[in-house]
Amino acid sequence: MIEIRDLSKTFGSGHTAVKAVRNISLKLVPGDIVLVMGPSGSGKTTLISMIGTLMRPTGGDVLLDGKNVTELSPDKLADFRLNNVSFVFQSFNLIAALNAELNVMLPLLAKGTSKSAARQNARELLMKLGIGERLHHLPRDLSGGEKQRVAVARALVNEPKIILADEPTANLDSKTGHEVMQLLCQTACSEGRAVIIVSHDTRLKDVAKRVIIIEDGRLVKEERGNHEANCPMEHKHARP
Amino acid sequence: MFLLAIKNLFQEKTRFLISVGGVAFSVTLIIVLTGLYRGWNDKLGEYIRSVPVDIWVMQKGSEELFHTPSILPITLDDELVKINGVQSAKPFNARRLAVSSGGQQFQLYIVGYDPAQNSGQPARVVEGKKVPGPGEIIVDRSQSKKISIGDKINAAGRELEVVGFAEGGDLVITSFAFTLPEELNKIQSLPDAVNNFWVTLNPGTDKNKAAGDIESALPNVTAVTSEEFVSSNTKIVSDSFLPVILVLVLVSIAVGVAVIGLTIFTSTIEKAKEYGVLKAIGLKNRQLYAVVLKQALIAGVVGFGVGAVIATLLGASVSQYVPQFVYQIRSLDIAWIFGLTVVMAALAAYIPLRRLARIDPTEVFKA
Repeated sequence: MIEIRDLSKTFGSGHTAVKAVRNISLKLVPGDIVLVMGPSGSGKTTLISMIGTLMRPTGGDVLLDGKNVTELSPDKLADFRLNNVSFVFQSFNLIAALNAELNVMLPLLAKGTSKSAARQNARELLMKLGIGERLHHLPRDLSGGEKQRVAVARALVNEPKIILADEPTANLDSKTGHEVMQLLCQTACSEGRAVIIVSHDTRLKDVAKRVIIIEDGRLVKEERGNHEANCPMEHKHARP
Repeated sequence: MFLLAIKNLFQEKTRFLISVGGVAFSVTLIIVLTGLYRGWNDKLGEYIRSVPVDIWVMQKGSEELFHTPSILPITLDDELVKINGVQSAKPFNARRLAVSSGGQQFQLYIVGYDPAQNSGQPARVVEGKKVPGPGEIIVDRSQSKKISIGDKINAAGRELEVVGFAEGGDLVITSFAFTLPEELNKIQSLPDAVNNFWVTLNPGTDKNKAAGDIESALPNVTAVTSEEFVSSNTKIVSDSFLPVILVLVLVSIAVGVAVIGLTIFTSTIEKAKEYGVLKAIGLKNRQLYAVVLKQALIAGVVGFGVGAVIATLLGASVSQYVPQFVYQIRSLDIAWIFGLTVVMAALAAYIPLRRLARIDPTEVFKA
């Protein structure tokens, strides 16, 4: 279980201090899909940066299975991310020099998995996500939807406990965006991974189990998403 | 992560070629300069190494053949052979002169070759007469572009006919030539003097001790072993050439470091977001440093290979057109230049590594 307790982030100090995130608490269980919405500058990206351990909070804790990870050393944090956290980005952020297969293999290779095992895992996942015929294409030769599927495969391949997606549909047309998110959420929840999606796209409520609204760094509202109605491949994990 | 380093490098082929070109230029320059140094060093000592002598005796204060002339009494050989361990003492007479032939002027280091005493002989005669007769001279083959067998050489008003070519007497800017002692005496006009003595020792005699004994017995002479004499004669190359080489090697290193450093640095800047993604995925800084370091090392090693090939081709071809391009390289030199290239590449990676360390992984969220 992932627990976020009173998480805060203040940039700068004194008169110029900006409180980007204020005392947000959240619990996620395996299979949870949370959509974080709010106006620009409300602190959404800062929040997932801290949950993803890319940014240290100025207050509060991030706990994974009861263990506080906010105080870990940079190397331990890197290990933590490699084994527990994955990201899906708005602009895909694939490594330009690597083909689709190698991009997906990358987290496994970083973990020390053998090249052949990493290749097999990457191929299986890319096939599952419907781009098995584009394995050896470089990112520049892939469409936006294909790139995002590769990014989703890269996020899933390491079997993380939590996947953080930042505006994952912003650079995709609505149909492709919806398909990619369906794939991500179905795969994630069927495999018991928690997903946090930051987006302005209200249609993503269809894939979310919970929707939280943030304004001025505060969690102002939490509501149910439409996941059950739109995700027939239901999972066994209970909501907290 | 070697794969990523390779893929990153080859993704930007032009940049990679610039890196390789910069290193190749540096390596070529360093190898050629080292080769020239070795070649010149070898040439200056080649003749002295070839003569079967244990000890060179010269006037006190003289150190070598070319810049500190020595004049000794011709009768000194009688005193030398009386010293314990000395088997024979043969005169060695030589003089550097500006000569002319067929309208060309050049310099020769003319040695008095006494076939009867077997002193002052060439290292090896490779063409023509083995021993010059009266009015004749054998010159080093390195002069063969200026003169041929049968040509006449004017040396200090005396005319000598070229009758043979020898090898092992090339001094880069001049060369040894061999004529009879009588002919040299007419040029030198020093009938009762000699420049040096070649001393041969009895078998089993310690050379250093014998040299010390000679200096003790004859206070106005300097006696050195043939090995020390080679060092003294080649020291001029080390003294005058090494500082120049050092400066040029440092310039070459700076060029190599700058070219690799700039290309890797710009690549790191351009790929900052990708490195941020790798950090977000969970790669540690040291894994990313290894990627950048490997890129620099690959560029360095490939550049070294290209530079070594260019230097070898230059060494083999230029000397045919420029006689002074005396090039000689040893495998040990190649080894240290390779080591230097690796250091150069590692140094070049330093600034990109510092930049890499500062990349903020949260930048990956920017669209």
